[in-house]
Amino acid sequence: MKYAISLFDVNKNFGKQRAVYKVNLRIGKGITLILGPNGAGKSTLLRCMAGLYKPDSGRLDVLGSDPYESADIRNRISFMPDNYGLYDFLSVRDNMLFFARLYGIEDKEAIAKSLKILKMLDAAHYINAKVGQLSRGTKQKILLCKALINDPEVILLDEPTAFLDASSSEQVRRFLYGMADEGKCVVFVTQRVDEATRFNSRICVIKNGSIIRDTDTKGLYDEIFKGTRISIRLARPISKNAVLALGKNMSLEHGGIIKADVKNYKDVNAILKTLMDNGAYIASVDYAEPMIEKLYGGND
Amino acid sequence: MIRSKAMAIAIKDIREVFSSVSIYGPMIGVPLFFAVALPVLTIYVALHAAPGIASRIASTAIPSTSASNINSLSFMYFFAINVLGPIFLTIPIFTASVIAADSFAGEKERKTSENLLAAPITNRQLLSGKILASLISTILLTFAVFGIYGGTVNLLAFKEFGVYILPTATWLMMLAAAPLLALAAIAIVVFVSAHVKGIKEAQQISTLLVLPILLIPFISILGIANLDVAFFEYVIAILVVVDALIFYASVKDFKKERILY
Repeated sequence: MKYAISLFDVNKNFGKQRAVYKVNLRIGKGITLILGPNGAGKSTLLRCMAGLYKPDSGRLDVLGSDPYESADIRNRISFMPDNYGLYDFLSVRDNMLFFARLYGIEDKEAIAKSLKILKMLDAAHYINAKVGQLSRGTKQKILLCKALINDPEVILLDEPTAFLDASSSEQVRRFLYGMADEGKCVVFVTQRVDEATRFNSRICVIKNGSIIRDTDTKGLYDEIFKGTRISIRLARPISKNAVLALGKNMSLEHGGIIKADVKNYKDVNAILKTLMDNGAYIASVDYAEPMIEKLYGGND
Repeated sequence: MIRSKAMAIAIKDIREVFSSVSIYGPMIGVPLFFAVALPVLTIYVALHAAPGIASRIASTAIPSTSASNINSLSFMYFFAINVLGPIFLTIPIFTASVIAADSFAGEKERKTSENLLAAPITNRQLLSGKILASLISTILLTFAVFGIYGGTVNLLAFKEFGVYILPTATWLMMLAAAPLLALAAIAIVVFVSAHVKGIKEAQQISTLLVLPILLIPFISILGIANLDVAFFEYVIAILVVVDALIFYASVKDFKKERILY
């Protein structure tokens, strides 16, 4: 099957509120990101793919079947919601056993699989802890473990790194790369542009329920850096006059941050080189804010 | 290994109910207290005030006894079956509605429904699991309470009058009606919790079922109907039809999206 997920003119409304509007999308193996601001419809779209919502109109197939109607096909799909939704009164072990039973997995196999995944996520020592007593980040890892217990072919993740620290987020990303390398279809929903661009993957931008861009990380950079303004944070501040002397396209803002106009991503290198040649030490380049502005602030 | 997905859901739900003392404490504690306290109060009234009352209310046949305080025994007999029986019949309604409301609306309230509904379970498995959880707990508690209340009544009756009052055929018919009452309460909760936002609304609406049950003692005291086997045969027949109708409506109306948010 060429595409694991296919959507044809999918619409989903809640009363009069439009959540997903005429979405046409084909998703194959590998990682696909769905990027959008709050209320854009990305979580609703993911829930439709997971078979939680029935589209009001249009057709949605996952692995060739309708996930809302077919319980069997949901055996080959996994879904990780943004509100972790595990049973607080049960231990991690009992949560895993409960969900494994729903997937028809033997208890012994379920425990072995859970321990293996939790070890990879550095959370195996929580196996006997009550979920309600764990931190939000740890719960997120447990939830990811639950999402992988059925060895799914399609993995649907709603903000899976939202509550994780940098190192745990990186662990999860590596994990997802591993899944993609195994030929699985991973759909990752996020509202964070910086998170989306960490994957060298396909990115679908959603706004007001519709896919407004279907691109990839490189394409996003190409498009976004066309005439935008980036923020450059310096490790050590330099004077305003020194910045002005570097060119009209740069200005010094509060907090020692330099704002620079760029025509394309090649300009970023040129500007950084100019700054470094003039004794500046670069701490970071922030393109996320202008990117969000360009992506979500109109232009659809 | 639990092979049935419905049973896995039922066991999880039962564990959830019994994980919170604020839910199971009053649900078990109050009926158990009344199962002992009401028969004790009844025997007290039977011994001290019954001779006058009994002649007015007791046309019911009583077991043959050589006891001289026949009116006290008549009262105890009448009250233990015709008044306490219907009172204890409210237990399956209250218990089932508490557990079922927590089971359905609770998933929505605690936001655990997404993981559950994304799993490969059919609507039938989901409903069966949730209904089983409420039904098993309710039947066990109702039978336990009826056992304790029956035991207490017999103990007191034997001590005072030298006879055992329970079980009678009518009392056993009441017990047979208990699972059907529980099913009716559960079906109403399934129907209601799919339409309301919280646990409390679902619970409150389903507990309205106790009202007709609480009328039964008055029907008996006022002489409108005799609470005999035939009466409870009608009650059971009506409950079977009502259960079937409500269940049909609830299952037909059930859409898993409704327990998401």
